[in-house]
Amino acid sequence: MSTGGDLSAHGLGGVQDLPISLNLAIGGAVAALLVSFTVLAVAWRRPRYDARRGGRAVPGVQRLVEHPAFVIGLRVVGMVVFLYTVFVSVFGVDKVLNPFFGIFYVWLWVGIVPMSLLFGPFWKAISPVRTINLLFARLAGTDPDEGVRAYPARLGYWPAALGLYAFVWLELVYPFMSELSPVRLWCAIYVAVMLLGGAVWGSGFYERADPFEVYSTLVGRLSIWGYRDDGTLVVRSPLANLDGVVVAPGLVGVVGVLFGSTGFDSFGESPTWVRYLQGSSVNGYLLNNIALAVFCLGAIALFSLACMLTGVAGASGPEPVPEPDPDSDAEQRDDVRSRRTPRWLAARAGLPNAFAHSIVPIVVGYIVAHYLTYFIEVGSNTIALASDPLSNGSNILGTADFPRIAWLSYHPTLLANLKVGAVVVGHVVAAVASHDRALKLLPRRHQLLGQLPLLIVMVGFTGGGLLLLFSS
Amino acid sequence: MRRAAALVACLLLPLTAACGGDGGGTDSDEVVTVEITVEGDTVSPNGDRIQVGVGQPVDLVVTADAPGVIGVHVDGPEQTYDYDAGTNEPIQLQFDRPGVVPVERHSPDLTIVSLQVQ
Repeated sequence: MSTGGDLSAHGLGGVQDLPISLNLAIGGAVAALLVSFTVLAVAWRRPRYDARRGGRAVPGVQRLVEHPAFVIGLRVVGMVVFLYTVFVSVFGVDKVLNPFFGIFYVWLWVGIVPMSLLFGPFWKAISPVRTINLLFARLAGTDPDEGVRAYPARLGYWPAALGLYAFVWLELVYPFMSELSPVRLWCAIYVAVMLLGGAVWGSGFYERADPFEVYSTLVGRLSIWGYRDDGTLVVRSPLANLDGVVVAPGLVGVVGVLFGSTGFDSFGESPTWVRYLQGSSVNGYLLNNIALAVFCLGAIALFSLACMLTGVAGASGPEPVPEPDPDSDAEQRDDVRSRRTPRWLAARAGLPNAFAHSIVPIVVGYIVAHYLTYFIEVGSNTIALASDPLSNGSNILGTADFPRIAWLSYHPTLLANLKVGAVVVGHVVAAVASHDRALKLLPRRHQLLGQLPLLIVMVGFTGGGLLLLFSS
Repeated sequence: MRRAAALVACLLLPLTAACGGDGGGTDSDEVVTVEITVEGDTVSPNGDRIQVGVGQPVDLVVTADAPGVIGVHVDGPEQTYDYDAGTNEPIQLQFDRPGVVPVERHSPDLTIVSLQVQ
């Protein structure tokens, strides 16, 4: 790996951010969460959000975004970038000078968050695997939405959770994440699985199983763009939009992997862990693998437990099952499950997925805190690198001199405030979203007490998350 | 809905404005010397964090039992420096940008020290 020369293949990131000062932040964030919960409990007695209705219709925008030229234009953009990426992954050099790494790790993985926040389900619109599936179907004269079989509803989002885990493993644990051939292999497997899935189950497969699409669509629920049930495009508050996250099995797995891996990323950089890793006689790769799994599974388990530690029987009768997903057989499945599992568990089994949408703003908060400088700096640098696909000094796009934007790093206090702000806003939005959901799902007498375990876990997540941000 | 959003915003503003900010930066011309020992697959310091000022000169003095490579993660691709067995000439560094700069021994990779520039 090391060449002994001036540049090696390593080090995609460059300088890391300074740790932020611990003083008020944790106390402040926890206080913000507790105060907002108290205010919610007193002032927010009826559910307010219903993504099926509400919002202001924007017929002009709807006509534009549903116009074939616009739809096809986005698909073409997605395909051009995809084909360019394939080209540099095959013919480019095996150094981080290859724009492939920046496109994959920064433009795609990090960029998907701001793009979805601004424009909604962004990846769905440009997804090259969807486009290829569409073209195949067009050639074969079949319907791209129809596969050979119906997608098993019981699988839900679990394939996407697995795919996301495979990505964060590659990025955070795999020692050769910045070498060309293994990353290219990862991408090839992703594309192959997606095309196969699309052929077997139709394009609905991507809504549940494409890790990038599921991620993008989830974050897109925090944009202002939403659809009512009647198909009207509306503008509304991100919180009202978030209510429309489609609940299906595995949703808690998706948000758990996203949240847990972000925590692990901070933890993995902390001097304590680095010292432990290097001082230990156990293989560091193994330890990192275990730590990533513990963070992700731990996040899923803690959150699920907290959601289920509530009373569900009330005067109005137990009705803890979330609104059924219109395109799944959720109700039927719950019937089957209740026969096998104890009643107390069956009545609560749907709760973690029903509340999982409230983790999305937290994930976004941590992604902003963790990746803001990385995204701006390496993202802008990739614009320059992309002009020289084969790293031979060419300048095909004319952007070779695009500056590497590191301005924010020179303003560490502003940066620290932005980071803490993002985390706290994320947690407070999450508290609002889960409170609103609790009012809808839980019987009246359990609405407040039933939320306490979740509140405690959220406070733990806030404190722990900030502690990690500070220490690494 | 709008009232609730305003409420949440009010709760947040003073908090975010109050946190952050930090002293402790040492803008000095005094050279920070980091003595690094590499023996087999152990390094000393072993992943410690050292604070240095912006623009403060840093000398890395490597003593090793075999030749090898040290990588410093600054802007752009990593910069690497070769060292020989025995005590080497200091590697002279200076950073004008705040941040954490990892210094690593390569193959297998070990973090020797992280320079916290502020």
